[in-house]
Amino acid sequence: MKIPSTAHELRCYYTWMGTDGIARTKVKENAEVTLEDARANSVLVNSFFVDEKFPILIDSRGIKSISREARSFFTTNGRATNTMAFAILIDSAVSKVVGNFFLGINKPAVPTKLFVDEELALQWLRNL
Amino acid sequence: MIRENDDYIQERTNSILDVIMSFARLEFNVQTEISSNHDVFDAIAAGVNMLGEELENSVVTIKEKESLLKEVHHRVKNNLQIIASLMNLQAASSTDPVFLELIRECKNRIHSMSIIHEMLYQSKDLSKINATVYIKHLILGLESSFYMQHVKVDFQLNLDERIILEADRMIPLGLILNEAISNSYKYAFPDRAGTIEISFMTENDQYVLLIKDNGIGLPADYDVHKISSLGLQLIVTLAEQLDAELLWHREEGLGFEFRFK
Repeated sequence: MKIPSTAHELRCYYTWMGTDGIARTKVKENAEVTLEDARANSVLVNSFFVDEKFPILIDSRGIKSISREARSFFTTNGRATNTMAFAILIDSAVSKVVGNFFLGINKPAVPTKLFVDEELALQWLRNL
Repeated sequence: MIRENDDYIQERTNSILDVIMSFARLEFNVQTEISSNHDVFDAIAAGVNMLGEELENSVVTIKEKESLLKEVHHRVKNNLQIIASLMNLQAASSTDPVFLELIRECKNRIHSMSIIHEMLYQSKDLSKINATVYIKHLILGLESSFYMQHVKVDFQLNLDERIILEADRMIPLGLILNEAISNSYKYAFPDRAGTIEISFMTENDQYVLLIKDNGIGLPADYDVHKISSLGLQLIVTLAEQLDAELLWHREEGLGFEFRFK
């Protein structure tokens, strides 16, 4: 996933809104995501469109760990969010394990799917 | 090179196993190291750490719920006792024997339910009741309630101590026992001492509860399909609630047999 110059840089993420209306978040290499990181990214993502819901592509391939509080934050039903779906990119063994938690134990309230292929992930998000 | 690899595998495996064993002991203050190699051991370590966190959270949630449930049972029991005390106060201002008897009947019904909530919050299992302990407890309460009646009753118990029932089945069962025993105390032995036999056993995957006295029994022309007594009506209704088959024993006294799954 290519990071554009307009991307916002947070402690664990690069986040930006694509020209196709799909938000993108790339997890930094060896990121250890905490609740604060999850919150900061959520605030940023929600600021892209105030009154409109949009999908998000999360590139988790470099992740090292994510705390329970952070996972729970993404899961919480009724949390104020503009996100309508999550497509999570995985490839490393760690990202596969982390990704699968978001399909079960820490399932978000919106549709969530794991992808190895970025183009297929975008296709799924576009067709929602 | 191979030796180094073996050492690495051994070290990573041992570290993950140590953490799994800690989680098994419900010790959650440890996590296994995740390196930056992004290899299979890191994936296993990440998974184990996250499962440990979820397990810890579940254990805490269960403990909180148990504690809350205990508190609820305690409060229900206290509230039931307050209602019984209010009835006592009301009864103190009356000398009407009919009213006093009604108060006693209501208090005994309340007590039969209150025992269940008391047993639930005192027990480790917050949903199930040992039937033998409950029945003995209930009998003690009824003996004391009818003490002033000067009716000498001997209880013959044949109870399977292994029978454990859920509270929502024990409550109707307790009310049935209360009604049947109270009925015997009030009507079965007008002029002599008597015996109440209570048996609660299992038979071919069925529970069989028998409550039988050796008193004067029902009048020969009494039609059990046209019951006028509230106590007997309650017995029939509660048997339906338990989905139990109810058999009336009308020889040498009065008895009720309930068969249910």
